Amino acid sequence: MTRFVGFRADAGIRDLVAEAARNALLDAGSSLSAIDLGVAAYESDHFNRQMSLGHVLAETVGLTGKPTVRVEGGGATGALAIQTAVTAIQAGSARAVLVFGGETNGRSVDRATATEILALSADFEWEMPLFGTFAAPYALMITEHMRRYGTTAEQFAEIAVKNRRIALHNPDAHKGMSITVGEVRGSAPLADPYRLFDASLLSDGAAAVLLATRDWAQAHSPTFRDRPPVAIAGTAAVTDHPRLSDRPEEMFPHFAAKRLAARQAYRMAGIDHPSEQIDLAEVYDSFSGAELQAYEDLGFCPVGEGGQAAGEGRFDLDGLIPVNTSGGLLGRGSAVGATGIAQAVEVVRQLRGEVEGERAVSDPRIGVTDTHAGVGALAVVNVFERLA
Amino acid sequence: MKFTGTHKFTTPEGQEYSLLGIEMTQRYRHTVGFSDPFYQGIDQGLLRATRCSGCGASWFPPRRYCPEDQSETVWYDLSGTGRIVAATRVHIPPPFGGVKVPYVLASIRLDGVDGGITHRVLTEEPPESGSLVVARFDGADPDRPPLHPLLRLAFEIQETTK
Repeated sequence: MTRFVGFRADAGIRDLVAEAARNALLDAGSSLSAIDLGVAAYESDHFNRQMSLGHVLAETVGLTGKPTVRVEGGGATGALAIQTAVTAIQAGSARAVLVFGGETNGRSVDRATATEILALSADFEWEMPLFGTFAAPYALMITEHMRRYGTTAEQFAEIAVKNRRIALHNPDAHKGMSITVGEVRGSAPLADPYRLFDASLLSDGAAAVLLATRDWAQAHSPTFRDRPPVAIAGTAAVTDHPRLSDRPEEMFPHFAAKRLAARQAYRMAGIDHPSEQIDLAEVYDSFSGAELQAYEDLGFCPVGEGGQAAGEGRFDLDGLIPVNTSGGLLGRGSAVGATGIAQAVEVVRQLRGEVEGERAVSDPRIGVTDTHAGVGALAVVNVFERLA
Repeated sequence: MKFTGTHKFTTPEGQEYSLLGIEMTQRYRHTVGFSDPFYQGIDQGLLRATRCSGCGASWFPPRRYCPEDQSETVWYDLSGTGRIVAATRVHIPPPFGGVKVPYVLASIRLDGVDGGITHRVLTEEPPESGSLVVARFDGADPDRPPLHPLLRLAFEIQETTK
C-alpha cells in the first residue's frame, strides 16, 4: 500500500495505484507475467475524474492483455474486490489475481465539494435532499443505541482517541493525534451527538494485494516459503435496506448486514466463538460510534455492551481483541477504494509478525476485516488465517 | 468544463508541483418517474404511499411493483401522522439549500403504511423517541427561490393528550 495522506501533490490516482501494486509485487517477488486477472477497486468518478478508470489503472500497473474487472461497493469496495478475486480463484478461472484500489478523496477538491460528492451515496431520491452529511444517519443510529443501551458520547469519544493515538505509531497513517475525550467532545458539532473528531478522515491513497493458489505461490513467489502463509479463510458480502427508515425498528441501531456477513464468513472459517478465536480486527470506524456498534455485530461482545467495552478499552492494543491496529479510518485514514485492501495489508502484516513496536499483536493466528457502504447498506467481512 | 489555469503548489518538504485548475458543472433534468403522484401529493398537502394489488402489502417509499409477489401497486393517501424512532440536530446544511442550520432530522415511522421516512421536524430540540408528529406542507411560492419539493414537506410535533 501507499501511505495515506491528506493530499499527494506528487501523485495522482494512477501514480498511487502503481506505487501500491509495485509494493505488492515486490513483497511477493513475483512478476506480472504470471498473473491471470486484475481487480480494480475504486468508488467514484467524481473524486478520480476518470470514467472507465479500471482498465486505465490496469494499463498503468502493466496488466494490458489480461482481463480486468472493476468492483464498486461504496465503503466496502476494497473488501468486495478481494472477495471477487477469491471467487475467481475458487471457480478455477484464475490462479493469481492482483487486487489494486485507490481513491483521491483528499484535498484535490475542497471540503464542501467532497461532502457534496459523498452525499450522493445517500439515496438521491429520498434522503439526499434532507441531509448533506453522513454524520446525520450515523447520528440517528447511535442516538437510538444510547437510548436503548445507555451508551454515552464519552464512550465513543474513547474510540476517536484510541484510533488516533494508535495512528501516531503507524508510518502509513494519514494523521495520528494525541487528543483527549474532552477535545473530541469540544470539537465542532456535525450532527448531535457526533462532533468533528468523531468523523473519519478523507485521504489520498492506494493499496494492493496479490491473491493466489498455494501451487502458484510456490512456483512464482520466491518469498512465499520464507514467511508464514496467510489464507483467506472466510468471506461474505450481505446487503441491507440502504435507507435507515426502511429497516425493521428492532434493528435500527444495528448493522444487520454486518451481523449476517460476519456469521457467514465465520462459518466458512470455522469460527464458532469469535471473541475467543479472533486475534485482531480492522473495523470500519467511519464514525467513532460505528466501531462500538461493530463490536456487537461482529460478535466481539454481547449486543448492547459496545459502549461499555469502548469505555473500558476492551478492544485497545492490549485488549481482548486489538481493533484497528492501523489506526482505522479515524487515524490511518480512508481512501475509499483502497480502504478494505489497506485493512487486509495491515492484518496480513500482523499475522506474518511484520509489525513492530507497540502496534504489534502477539502471535496472532486469525484476523478479520470489516467494511460497509452507506450506513451498512452493504457489509463485507473477510477472515484471514495464518497457516503455519 | 472549464480550465482555470495552472497553480504552483509547494509541499511541506519544499517540492514544487503544478496543479491544474478544473471546474465541472452538470445540469440534469431528473425524472421522479413512478413516484410522480407522491410529488403531486405534496402540492395538494397529501402524503401518498402504494399498496400491492395482490397481497395487500403497503410500501413507502412508493414502489411500482410489490417486492413480495411482483404484482402492480395502487396509490392511496396516508393520514400524514407518524412516530419518531430517533432524532438528531444537524449542523451542516443539506446540498440543495432551503434549510437553516441547525435543524432537527428524524427517522419517522408513518401511520398507515409499513414504512418510514427520514425527514425534518420543525422544532428546536430533537424530540424523544416515540413522539408523535404530523406532516406539514409549504405551498410552492413563485416569489421565493425554487425549493426541492421534498423540502416543502416537513413534520411538526403533534400535541398529545393523555
